Amino acid sequence: FSSVFSSVAGKAALDKSDVEPALKALKERLMTKNVAEEIAEKLCESVSASLLGRKHGSFTRISSTVQVAMEEALTRILTPKRSIDILRDVHAAKEQGRPYVIVFVGVNGVGKSTNLAKVAYWLLQHDASVMLAACDTFRSGAVEQLRTHARRLQVELFERGYEKDPAVVANDAIRAAVRNKTDVVLVDTAGRMQDNEPLMRALSKLINLNGPDLVLFVGEALVGNDAVDQLSKFNQRLADLSTSANPQLIDGILLTKFDTIDDKVGAALSMVYTSGAPIMFVGCGQTYTDLKKLNVKQIVRSLLK
Amino acid sequence: MVLAELGGRISRALQQMNNSTVIDEKVLNECLNEITRALLQSDVQFKMVQSMQANIKKIVNLEDLAAGHNKRKIIQQVGVEEGCDGDEEGGVGEVGGGETEEEETSKWIRKGAGKTTTCTKYAYHYQRKGWKPALVCADTFRAGAFDQLKQNATKAKIPFYGSYTETDPAKIGVEGVERFKKEGCDLIIVDTSGRHKQEAALFEEMRQVSESTNPDLVIFVMDGSIGQAAYDQALAFKQSVAVGAVIVTKMDGHAKGGGALSAVSATKSPIIFIGTGEHMDEFEAFETKPFVSRLLGLGDLHGFMDK
Ligand SMILES: Nc1nc2c(ncn2[C@@H]2O[C@H](COP(=O)(O)OP(=O)(O)OP(=O)(O)O)[C@@H](O)[C@H]2O)c(=O)[nH]1
Ligand SMILES: Nc1nc2c(ncn2[C@@H]2O[C@H](COP(=O)(O)OP(=O)(O)OP(=O)(O)O)[C@@H](O)[C@H]2O)c(=O)[nH]1
Ligand SMILES: [Mg+2]
Ligand SMILES: [Mg+2]
Repeated sequence: FSSVFSSVAGKAALDKSDVEPALKALKERLMTKNVAEEIAEKLCESVSASLLGRKHGSFTRISSTVQVAMEEALTRILTPKRSIDILRDVHAAKEQGRPYVIVFVGVNGVGKSTNLAKVAYWLLQHDASVMLAACDTFRSGAVEQLRTHARRLQVELFERGYEKDPAVVANDAIRAAVRNKTDVVLVDTAGRMQDNEPLMRALSKLINLNGPDLVLFVGEALVGNDAVDQLSKFNQRLADLSTSANPQLIDGILLTKFDTIDDKVGAALSMVYTSGAPIMFVGCGQTYTDLKKLNVKQIVRSLLK
Repeated sequence: MVLAELGGRISRALQQMNNSTVIDEKVLNECLNEITRALLQSDVQFKMVQSMQANIKKIVNLEDLAAGHNKRKIIQQVGVEEGCDGDEEGGVGEVGGGETEEEETSKWIRKGAGKTTTCTKYAYHYQRKGWKPALVCADTFRAGAFDQLKQNATKAKIPFYGSYTETDPAKIGVEGVERFKKEGCDLIIVDTSGRHKQEAALFEEMRQVSESTNPDLVIFVMDGSIGQAAYDQALAFKQSVAVGAVIVTKMDGHAKGGGALSAVSATKSPIIFIGTGEHMDEFEAFETKPFVSRLLGLGDLHGFMDK
């Protein structure tokens, strides 16, 4: 009798053909939200694998079972596995009598310098003293751009003009910060394409020479499929070119221009999925106060809406 | 160049279809699926890809294909027609047909896309062809914007105009244009600050600069790595100012530039140049139709680029 009951209730194990249509629709939805194709595909595969063989109650529709599983997967991916508390670490460095150093890296024009200034503002709000190090010694106007921010924020600027080796400029800046007892050094770097070998080498040198506390990858929320390539190549090149046995890779992500994408929030997912690094800040405008923390729930909701 | 990679995938898909003896719905679907995937991985807008797929299916009615017809050719033709949809209307092409005495160009669009860099590249390109260009910095917003333009212009030996104190970009724009007209410059390029469709006040400012400088050509500068937001952003610009041409930057990177196709379709304007590096001469003239042909694997029809 009970077997009849269970077949009536439709408690059959799910197989691939049951979940496929719902997953296909979900994959498409993720892509319209600007998730990279490769990531959307991988994600759907893993959700499918987690559902296969699972019993399915007849009163829930398959599409909602799939949706719930996807929601769980997204939340798991976006929730940071290692937590970095910058303010606590700044404090610890101070106790050791040294400045805390953050290097901002990323491709051209994503918002490194602007968001560096926002992070400076945020640190000032928390009573840390800050120095900006102008280590983009290549792009026209980069030094003046940083000087403008330093003046507005009334913080120290360390610069050596253009065409100097940025690794050396950063090193001098950190020494100056030790002398002045400045709490945090924010190092601006030139934008570089992830495939540009000489520039990636220069970045690796800067990181190797100075051993910053935090390497922050700045990526823009507008980026499409290239997000995956940017992050994986930055990490790969930093690993390959490192001189140490324990290479320093990207520690965290700063996602910019979040105010310009409406609900197309997919780049956040592509970046975290690819690098495993947490999104530490989200830039959402042009003023110093437009810096937020990531709201995982809201992102997941936008992705599935 | 990376665009070719996409072209390669599409032509492989078409090749595969060509190799099968009968082209039935299944074969066609497989081919379209592969093309769809390639386009999506290149950041072409999802809706565009979907409607292209539907249209191709509608046009290629397999039942009607008489035996002996070259089916592959038919499908490729459909592909090109679809792909080029909307490219014709812009019609602005390169400036400098020799007709106009003076050309004024304004550049807009998203922050960090490469406008300021592109302005100098553009001026330098025409300077080498014998024009007398000048640069005007109407970006009063971004820190260091005037210094950036000034340093670039000085390197290229191109006259420039701007101000550290004036905050009204429309005013600077007008002053700069007046001055260079008097000095006999025949190509005046106005750089503006970056903005996005969500920033209503900045869009209003853009309309004002456009109104007061009254440019002959408005160029939309976009980043080659932009994803699914490309279409919406481009459309918003088209609706506010008379965008006449598109320049796609950072094509030296890995991005496949599919967002550019979306922008072309939203602005109904052709891509006239692409940026391929940070240096002044890393700039190439671009023709949309051969690009699309190439994208669809038809080979280099008219010489892909004019270097
Ligand atoms: N709307 C918006 N604009 C932003 C945001 N972050 C940066 N921008 C703008 O993006 C543009 C580029 O920013 P920069 O900070 O110069 O970018 P960068 O990465 O330092 O650029 P390079 O040093 O040239 O590689 C500027 O116009 C900024 O105002 C943001 O969160 N929202
Ligand atoms: N690799 C590469 N970098 C480029 C290209 N075009 C511009 N850039 C870089 O992109 C960054 C941003 O360029 P800008 O010219 O400052 O961009 P913008 O649009 O004027 O920025 P805002 O005025 O802040 O809106 C700079 O680092 C440029 O050197 C290109 O074709 N290739
Ligand atoms: Mg910068
Ligand atoms: Mg600019």
